[in-house]
Amino acid sequence: MPKSRLTNTVCEDASELASRSHYSAASAVKTEVEPDLSVHEGTSSRFLGVERATVSFGEGGARVCPLRGVSVMFKRGTLSLVMGPSGSGKTTLLSMLGCLLSPDQGSVFVDDVLVNQLSETEKTAIRQKKIGFVFQAFRLFHSLSAIDNVALGFELRDPKQSQRLEMAQELLDKFGLGDKSHQEPNELSPGERQRVAVARALAGDPPILLADEPTASLDAQAGRNICQILRNQVDEYGRTVVVVSHDPRWREFADRTITLCDGEIEQKENDL
Amino acid sequence: MKLAWQNIIHDRSRFSVTVLGVSFAVFLMVFQGSLLVGFLRAASRLIDASDSDIWITARGVQAFEFGTTLESRVREMAAGVPGVMQTDRVCMAFAVYRTPKGKQQVVALVGADPNVGKRFPVPDVPELAGEISPDAVLYDVSDRDLIAVPVLPTEVEINRHRASIERQIQGYGAFLGVPFLFTSYRNAIRYLGFGPDDAMYVVLRVSKGSSVSDVKQSLQERLPEVDVLTRDEFAHKSRMYWTIKTGAGGAILTAAVLGFLIGLVVVSQTIYANTMENIEEYATLKALGAPKSLVARIVLTQALLCGAVGSILGLFAVIPVIDHAKSLIPWIYMPWWLPVLMVLPSMVMCSLASIASVRNALTVEPGRVFRA
Repeated sequence: MPKSRLTNTVCEDASELASRSHYSAASAVKTEVEPDLSVHEGTSSRFLGVERATVSFGEGGARVCPLRGVSVMFKRGTLSLVMGPSGSGKTTLLSMLGCLLSPDQGSVFVDDVLVNQLSETEKTAIRQKKIGFVFQAFRLFHSLSAIDNVALGFELRDPKQSQRLEMAQELLDKFGLGDKSHQEPNELSPGERQRVAVARALAGDPPILLADEPTASLDAQAGRNICQILRNQVDEYGRTVVVVSHDPRWREFADRTITLCDGEIEQKENDL
Repeated sequence: MKLAWQNIIHDRSRFSVTVLGVSFAVFLMVFQGSLLVGFLRAASRLIDASDSDIWITARGVQAFEFGTTLESRVREMAAGVPGVMQTDRVCMAFAVYRTPKGKQQVVALVGADPNVGKRFPVPDVPELAGEISPDAVLYDVSDRDLIAVPVLPTEVEINRHRASIERQIQGYGAFLGVPFLFTSYRNAIRYLGFGPDDAMYVVLRVSKGSSVSDVKQSLQERLPEVDVLTRDEFAHKSRMYWTIKTGAGGAILTAAVLGFLIGLVVVSQTIYANTMENIEEYATLKALGAPKSLVARIVLTQALLCGAVGSILGLFAVIPVIDHAKSLIPWIYMPWWLPVLMVLPSMVMCSLASIASVRNALTVEPGRVFRA
């Protein structure tokens, strides 16, 4: 894939799309939670990322420090790959970007908002409106059919959305799962489950997608499909995608690769 | 909310256990409630059947079944109180009944004047005039085996006096295992050996335009050595005696409360297990941005759905059982409002049962979603 050309071409449209998406989503959040900690409104320099973030768990001899003063920003409309060995702090970084964890020190920015000092309710609202998650273990609701799982994504983002089943079906059709929409997760292959999970993450059009080892449980073909689907989200819709993975196949699809080691950034490739 | 319903029906065996637990609790609560209501009704049934406004009893009488004789002047003095329109007599005492085959049985013999009340089961009320003899003895159909008369009428003995059992009635069956027999007042005092002017209870009707409480007060002033009670007061006193002082009501209430607690434990356990089994899903929901209120609502909805389904099943089970139980416990009674009323505690039970589960679902760390 001619990635650089594709990326450059798409990035212009993508940033426009992303900016539109960003402002509508941001206003939605502000209406609900009124966060007043915005910084650099209107610029993309702190759209998504962390600055001098340090995280530690435990105390005394049991204290571990998965991230040590890490600073990294992710531009709108890009797919970034975060790699590194186990325990290097990849998931901790993703948790912070997903407003699921606050650093002991440093700052976290999501959609130009400094989030690490927001209340839990405000962070929940940001996750709800702006972030789609894709997990290694899919984390689909086992009792719901594929379409209901995706519809739940729409419902969470907009409880008043009455067309959610139709929209969920549309998303599943798009991902080649139209004929399996009424099957439960345990009736689907791992690759299909992950596509349903991606569809759920995309329900409600979040500007940011965070994916944790999304291809780790998949075979080669299914893994490639997921890589392509997430790449398309950047190219076609201008979403900002951050993927944490050990899978080297992602390099081919990523605009940028960041390697973490022992809680610090070891390397940034194609730094944008 | 679809998630709530799907979660509970997805694991059908667990759902069945929860629903069975609720059904059992509702069954027990309604059954015990029917026993209690029936017991309360039976405890004051004869008092309620009178059309009187005021009952005069000997001092300290706790219940209809334990009256003692009043002096004959009480009735005469009561009749002279302004506002008293009519006085009648009622008596009740235990007697020995001998069946045609010679078997003996203790019975509670009740006698009353004909005008004591249209619903009061005595043979000489105007409504039965000509149908049976005024001195006939009546018994309840549910006591058929104890009374043991092959045909009607049948000659029997009550306290060694000849008596004629002539009719079966309904709704006045044995309350405490001792069957009631009903006859006219004059017949009853003959069987019981009372004097012609003796009375156990004097029941009064107040004339139109007079206040019951004023007449009651005047009677109490004029007759300080007896208790003067309105019909409702005496009925209440009788009910309280049987339910509280004898402990019978306490036993029935305890069983009803136990039913509630058993249901609570079963539902708590299953809802809790269900929540813990799906705790990762609650973490996922929270990670995806579900507000706490939604998470709590899902768990609570699951509990209430179990409560609703369990209540309906429990009610469907208990109604025929109560109908069937009437042959063994004639006084059991399920008013229409009891099943409706029992749905409320069952919903409260399910809500209480979900508290621990809601707490766990709310406190689960959404960050755990990244653990594979």
